[in-house]
Amino acid sequence: MAPPAVLVESVTKLYRRYGRKRSVGTLKSALLSGTGARALSPDEAVSALRDVSFSVKAGETVGVVGANGSGKSTLLKLLSGIVRPTAGEVRVRGRLAALLELGAGFHPEISGRENIEINGLLLGLTKREIARRFDEIVAFAEIEEFLDAPVKTYSSGMAVRLGFSIAAHSDPEVLLVDEVLAVGDEAFSKRCLEKFAEFERAGKTLLFVSHDLALVAERCRRALWLDRGRLAADGPSGETVALYRESVASKGGERRLAAEAVETAPARRIGSGSAIVHGARLLDAEGRPAGRLRSGDPARIEMEVEAREPLSDFVFGVAIATVSGTIVFGTNTEIDGLAAGRFLGKGRAILELPSLDLASGVYSLDVAVHGKDGSPYDYRRDLLRFEVTADSDVAGTWNPNRTWAFDGEIHWTK
Amino acid sequence: MVAPKIIHDFSADPNPLVRTFRQRPLVLALARRELLARYRGGVLGFLWSLVNPLLLLLVYATVFRLVFEPRADVRPYALFLFGGVLVWSFVSGALLDAAETFRANGPLLRKTTVAPEVFPAVAVVARLSHLILALPVLATALAVAALAGSVRPGFAVVAFPLVLLLLALMVYGLALAVSSLSVHFGDVRDLLANLLTLAFFVTPVLYPVEAVPQRFRFLLFFNPFAPFFAAVHDCVFYFRPVSALDWVWMLLAAGLSLLAGSALFARLRDSIAEEA
Repeated sequence: MAPPAVLVESVTKLYRRYGRKRSVGTLKSALLSGTGARALSPDEAVSALRDVSFSVKAGETVGVVGANGSGKSTLLKLLSGIVRPTAGEVRVRGRLAALLELGAGFHPEISGRENIEINGLLLGLTKREIARRFDEIVAFAEIEEFLDAPVKTYSSGMAVRLGFSIAAHSDPEVLLVDEVLAVGDEAFSKRCLEKFAEFERAGKTLLFVSHDLALVAERCRRALWLDRGRLAADGPSGETVALYRESVASKGGERRLAAEAVETAPARRIGSGSAIVHGARLLDAEGRPAGRLRSGDPARIEMEVEAREPLSDFVFGVAIATVSGTIVFGTNTEIDGLAAGRFLGKGRAILELPSLDLASGVYSLDVAVHGKDGSPYDYRRDLLRFEVTADSDVAGTWNPNRTWAFDGEIHWTK
Repeated sequence: MVAPKIIHDFSADPNPLVRTFRQRPLVLALARRELLARYRGGVLGFLWSLVNPLLLLLVYATVFRLVFEPRADVRPYALFLFGGVLVWSFVSGALLDAAETFRANGPLLRKTTVAPEVFPAVAVVARLSHLILALPVLATALAVAALAGSVRPGFAVVAFPLVLLLLALMVYGLALAVSSLSVHFGDVRDLLANLLTLAFFVTPVLYPVEAVPQRFRFLLFFNPFAPFFAAVHDCVFYFRPVSALDWVWMLLAAGLSLLAGSALFARLRDSIAEEA
């Protein structure tokens, strides 16, 4: 039997914290106090992975799912050799390419042409290999006219395309991909997926981390689920994804009402990627994530957002639609009179609805961050589905707070 | 627990020197990127890198001509200074860059599979390139002085590239140590800047070895930079052969520095991508 392409055996990874020592951690004080060597030892450790074991055969495509902070990125960093395991063994056979962040190696001041060479070398290509694949890389990224312009003039979409193109053409035997397809427009995501399919046909090994559960279920035969640093499931992707979904749904006390809104997929997503909506949650009156809400109760919509570049033109939007796609309600920060100032890095946008006056039924939630002119940075249609229950079944979708009053000889038995 | 082990077909050798050597196309490309990014600023671009040593040279030459009387064996003093100051600015520039390189390249270290030892090497190669780009100016100054009859050029100058190579190797050893320490200690660069200022004056850069009183001269043996600057003066000012003692001394200094630097680096390497 052929040896596995990837072997992970009893791997534990502790991240060291140099906590207090770090803040006063100067070489001078270490030398003066005679603690030179000891100052280099950590005083606290945080575990990112605990006793994880699995192996991947050459030619397999494996998805990795799990909540944020469950150790997915650490796993890819270990496999790519960027960090070392605290205990256990990691083996990778064959040329490896890791796409942990698209365009991580780009220098803004130099041209696309020069960046292609450096990025290729970083991925382990020789100069000759880069020269041979140069045209293909440029064509796939569609940056022909901008080849000699500095990368700082590129749109984020262009930079993303170029980064992916170089990695995809580095001809790896093992490819690690960390949630990078979330950026870029739909057409490009589609071509990336085609490239992955090509890898699979060529017998290459592919490991990819994704929050898009439907994509994992569809593209991978096998999936791993990491739960707080432990390997919680390893099996056919459909089963793993179902287990993960079930666990997410059963978190919180009351099973049904508190069930977290289901992240639907394939989420339809368009945008330039200048800013990203990482996800959204729907919270009930008690502030718990909920998949089912009572009509008339307060609700809160929270979206995790991130601007990858400083933005002065941004609008956050939320829309609620019926499953058939009719918009029931839609608003955004501009409609509500907020003027954009500055947005950079991670953040959260919260929309409070004092009373969710929807008729009973299932609704879908769109969230977006876009420019004032409507050009999308990241528009996520049908990101969440949630259910509304009501005491009375009204016609239509609006279930407002209401009372009847009567004049004249009109009487009611109740 | 299973002993920690990570095996990649592509990075079997743990020695930082071997790994750097394997990655030399990347080192050269990144050094070129440094230079390009720096010089792309304007038309004057590359000239700016000459301004600093030239200015320094002007100050020294003026002060020592008008205020102090230079020794007879170092005239023309401006020319004596030029070679030494140029080479010293390579040493201090490379080490100061190395102290910052992991912070500056954090994203690359955390997000790509690049070998970290590449970055101190890039600092050294980029600064060495600056030096080499400035050499035509030195050559012109020497040629003018030779035509005026103030120096007598000789074939001893051919040893200069070898001296620079050995010096670059020694500086790389130190750069490995400085860069890996800088990940753990915030003040490495400040400390280094002070040490370099001190080293500048206890190294025969501004003065020839012969100017050091005989009874203090043994102290120079503890300064690893001393033989290199004696050799620089031999090659591009006196045009006399570098002494055998200096060659041995330079080889030893470079070898020891590489050994110690790579040992320290290998010990601290694992934490670089996590801490940078």
